[in-house]
Amino acid sequence: MYIPKSIDDALEYLDKHAPDALPIAGGTDILIQIREGKIRPKVLVDLSGFRNKLSYVKRVNGKVVIGALASVSGLDETFLVKDKRYLGFADVSAKFASPVLKALATIGGNIGVAVSASDYVTLLHVLEAQVKLVSVKGERIVPLEKLIVEKRTLAKEPNELIYEIIFSESPENSSTAFMKFDRREMIITGYVTCATYLQLENGIIRDVRIAFDRVSGRIPGRAKKTEEFLKGKEFSLDVIRQAYNEVLPTEMKRKSDYRASAEYRLDMSKVMMKRALLKAKSRIEGGV
Amino acid sequence: MVQVEEYPEITITLNVNGKDYTVNVKPYERLIDVLRYKLGFLSIKEGCGRGECGSCAIIMDGKLVPSCLVLAIQARGRKILTLEGIAPPGKLHAIQKALLDTYAMQCGFCFPGVIMASYYLLSKNKNPTEDEIKYALSGNLCRCGSYLRFVKAVKLAAEYIRKGQVYFDLKK
Repeated sequence: MYIPKSIDDALEYLDKHAPDALPIAGGTDILIQIREGKIRPKVLVDLSGFRNKLSYVKRVNGKVVIGALASVSGLDETFLVKDKRYLGFADVSAKFASPVLKALATIGGNIGVAVSASDYVTLLHVLEAQVKLVSVKGERIVPLEKLIVEKRTLAKEPNELIYEIIFSESPENSSTAFMKFDRREMIITGYVTCATYLQLENGIIRDVRIAFDRVSGRIPGRAKKTEEFLKGKEFSLDVIRQAYNEVLPTEMKRKSDYRASAEYRLDMSKVMMKRALLKAKSRIEGGV
Repeated sequence: MVQVEEYPEITITLNVNGKDYTVNVKPYERLIDVLRYKLGFLSIKEGCGRGECGSCAIIMDGKLVPSCLVLAIQARGRKILTLEGIAPPGKLHAIQKALLDTYAMQCGFCFPGVIMASYYLLSKNKNPTEDEIKYALSGNLCRCGSYLRFVKAVKLAAEYIRKGQVYFDLKK
């Protein structure tokens, strides 16, 4: 365990000792992995000392910037869960593990874990978020879609740290929603999770983005063909039904496992998509 | 042969229940192990060791966290509250009294976690609704299935606290 004095100090240490050294923030995933014997880092670099410094949420020049060490319960106290455009964050938080884990788990860690159960990744996909990575050589901004390449694999160097999550402010007549379907929704990962972003103009779908926990790979992704189909059409149940019955199955490949079959997952994806779109619509109109 | 590397110990200060303790810890030691075996706070129970059961819940810096998922070093200099610290010695806290009154206990292994979660809830919300109680205790697994009595007990405890009866004598 290495206790850095500052973020620069942590970056220098990581530069010298990565990949033997791994950063630890909340620790709700890495400690479990170490105990299961899946990974064996020689040194952990403790980032939790910077939690007060790096857990902000702010608006800068039409962008929303979230510090990577913002905990889930910390996000609950910011404007993200009050602004109707970002109510998706409230949905994620309400379904995010048990209350004890919320105080520890960080949004940066959720991205770093990069599994299909990373609920914030699914939501941030529909907001077209970008991630700022820092290292001793400087900083760079990568779109979240390009950053996560495979399950537990990020397109980042071992000496880089996830520093900030950035996304543009959504227009006024838009909203987000997030849905998780499972029998025990909070404690474990969902069978199906779905996030939607919807922008309506006089009943016409101006812009729509739909993300699922899995579309084709083993990581969260967007159903882009379905989005294309929906864009410019009138918002009605018939159109949505047509989209999820005819377009969504062409691009979604679900896998069966001991928890649910692929067919069931696909069926539930359709239902979740419909419900999440309806929820986003009702939020645009001022409901919840 | 697995090669075991010897890590040097690090000296840290933990503030547990208002008292400062200075301990030497290995870098890989979890907070639960240090509190239980080095400092003797045996109320903290280890159920699953991966943050699912809530038996090891403590309050650190005013937040409810599972002590099995915090490394002892990460807790350096932070304020920790365990079950031993919620009432003065020889007294029962209203939550403990309410749990006894409602006969919520069967095996009692999950109790320290349940009491800490209820304490955390009641410290923020003096009059919780049934849904709020259920949500606050959703991270605590009880093998005996006393969940409905927990809800009753927390309601009763909230009533005690609103009446101003926070601490009770043990013998009554």
